[in-house]
Amino acid sequence: MQEVALESAINSIRVRFGSQALTRAAEMPPPQPWLSGTPVDRLTGIGGLPRGRLTLFTGSGTCGKLTLALSVLARATHEFAHAIVIDGGGFDPWTLPPYSPEPGALTVVRAPALEIAGEAATTLARAGAGFLLLMGSIPEHWLGPLESAANRSGTVVLGVVDAPDRALAHASSFSLGFSRAEWIWDRGQLVGLRASARCVKNRVAPPLGETELEICYRLGALSVTEASVEVAEMEPCVSAVV
Amino acid sequence: MRVCCGLTGHLELARRPDLYGAPVIVGRWDEHVVAASEETLPFGVTPGMAMRQAEHLCPQATFVLPDEEAVVRIRELISSALYDLAPVVEVRDEGVAWLDLNGVVSAGESIREARRRLLKAIGREPRLGLAPGPFSARLAAARARPGRLMQVDDASAFLAPLPSRELPLDPEQLERLDLLGLRTLGAVAAIGPRELESQLGCDGRHAVLLARGLEPDQLEAWRPPLFTSAHRQFGEPVEDREALLFVARALCGDLADELGLRGAGAKHVRVRLLFESAEFEKQEVIVRHPLSSTAELFGLIGSWIKSWQPRAPITELWIELPVLEGAGRRQLRLWAGGDGSSDEVTAAMERLQERFGDDVVWKPQLLLPIHGEVARRAGGAAPEGL
Repeated sequence: MQEVALESAINSIRVRFGSQALTRAAEMPPPQPWLSGTPVDRLTGIGGLPRGRLTLFTGSGTCGKLTLALSVLARATHEFAHAIVIDGGGFDPWTLPPYSPEPGALTVVRAPALEIAGEAATTLARAGAGFLLLMGSIPEHWLGPLESAANRSGTVVLGVVDAPDRALAHASSFSLGFSRAEWIWDRGQLVGLRASARCVKNRVAPPLGETELEICYRLGALSVTEASVEVAEMEPCVSAVV
Repeated sequence: MRVCCGLTGHLELARRPDLYGAPVIVGRWDEHVVAASEETLPFGVTPGMAMRQAEHLCPQATFVLPDEEAVVRIRELISSALYDLAPVVEVRDEGVAWLDLNGVVSAGESIREARRRLLKAIGREPRLGLAPGPFSARLAAARARPGRLMQVDDASAFLAPLPSRELPLDPEQLERLDLLGLRTLGAVAAIGPRELESQLGCDGRHAVLLARGLEPDQLEAWRPPLFTSAHRQFGEPVEDREALLFVARALCGDLADELGLRGAGAKHVRVRLLFESAEFEKQEVIVRHPLSSTAELFGLIGSWIKSWQPRAPITELWIELPVLEGAGRRQLRLWAGGDGSSDEVTAAMERLQERFGDDVVWKPQLLLPIHGEVARRAGGAAPEGL
């Protein structure tokens, strides 16, 4: 009898305040990791980027967050049927070929307004897209539906922003702050940067961690004539010096 | 060709699951027996005999009047339940369900799922047969134990020792076969189609082809019906958008379950909000890509409701799907790798394009670096450097 009354009360709360207002613990399985193939996997504490959760790469200026995100995106194009970029501005697909993505799996959603970005991200996460790269923020009222949709479908959502607003920071489950330590030069040419990546929020596993990354820009085929053979053959684009 | 057959007993018997295990005879007085349960077989009762004779042979049986409409409903239920397990599904009133498994990636999984769904729909374990064609599959199923599968690889070898009474001929023709000494399917298969055609007409030719395992009959694919809807009437008129969204999601879930059972997708979606004054507002769209899952339906309808400004409190919410598409490509379970969600993402992208324009979603044509070219240039540059 009590169970019926409780069920009725839960339904009333959901009707009154929406289906997101109340979630049973049993409906929230622990996050499953997706191996991004980058040192970030170790920082999450679960061995990969959390599926069904929002991950943020933050940092001001040139600090390597976009380079790392592009590397993760390229990896996602090989592992998911759909890897989608929600482009609020700032995404240039021509920066991606050096990471050898699978072009058939990549789709870009151009969102001229934040509202469109929010709706697109939520719709695609709800439909079950494997990977979403958010280039920029989305409105606060879309964050709840996005979290919920991603949680149901297991979508990996990765956001790249300079400084997240309060709502976005609150909605994220794993947040990594980047700061550039120094540039890396090789024979007079800029080939990368050294950055520190600090986990500023982790809701999927303790503890918080910090690492230093050496991010080498991938030099495409057109640059080979100017670059040394060693650089052209260099396979990993991201290496970690912990 | 691979056909799976599930035998459940006549669908008239499925109307009364409470009588399973007891002798049951279905038919009208002064007419013929429509169906008889397995428990009446020892008494000599067979479908087609006079009811009075059946009553005389098995007086302890429960006699049930036939209900053709109920049988049609059960047949539709089973057909829709099996629809997404095979490209072609046929169900007959006699309690025979065929699934043409040609092209199905995981046939074993389809057969297991068919068994589970038939059990759920009928309430008793089906007998299953897997053979190159419908006729041999049916005979294989008849020889399997309940809940088990009999698999036949060589149809002609399997059919040869079986009695010729298994052929779909009328009693007079069967009697004639007996008089001709053709008492097994192997004997029927051994003579030429023309010889038997001269005796039994075109049925004779057909019988020889069946007995040889050549399977001249094709299955008639079941197709889902073309309209469905769901609605919710509110006790108190509703103004809260969240409440509408909650109800809409539940209705979308119900419709998606129904569409899933039918193996259909909605090509046309209409939402109506009814007010106390009996007036209503509606939104409708014909989508390019049929919608069939909760996510797809709610993705579209939820976006409407979020931006809808109804002029009065709402007393009733209707979601209608006037045009359904039963295309085979919506049989998501059959896809290699089970990548059904890929279809849903494509549909979601199309919906975004419908809402915000074609330019919103695009696939960049990337020119990937050619590693061979890199190596060649690197290799070519080395001698100069040296």
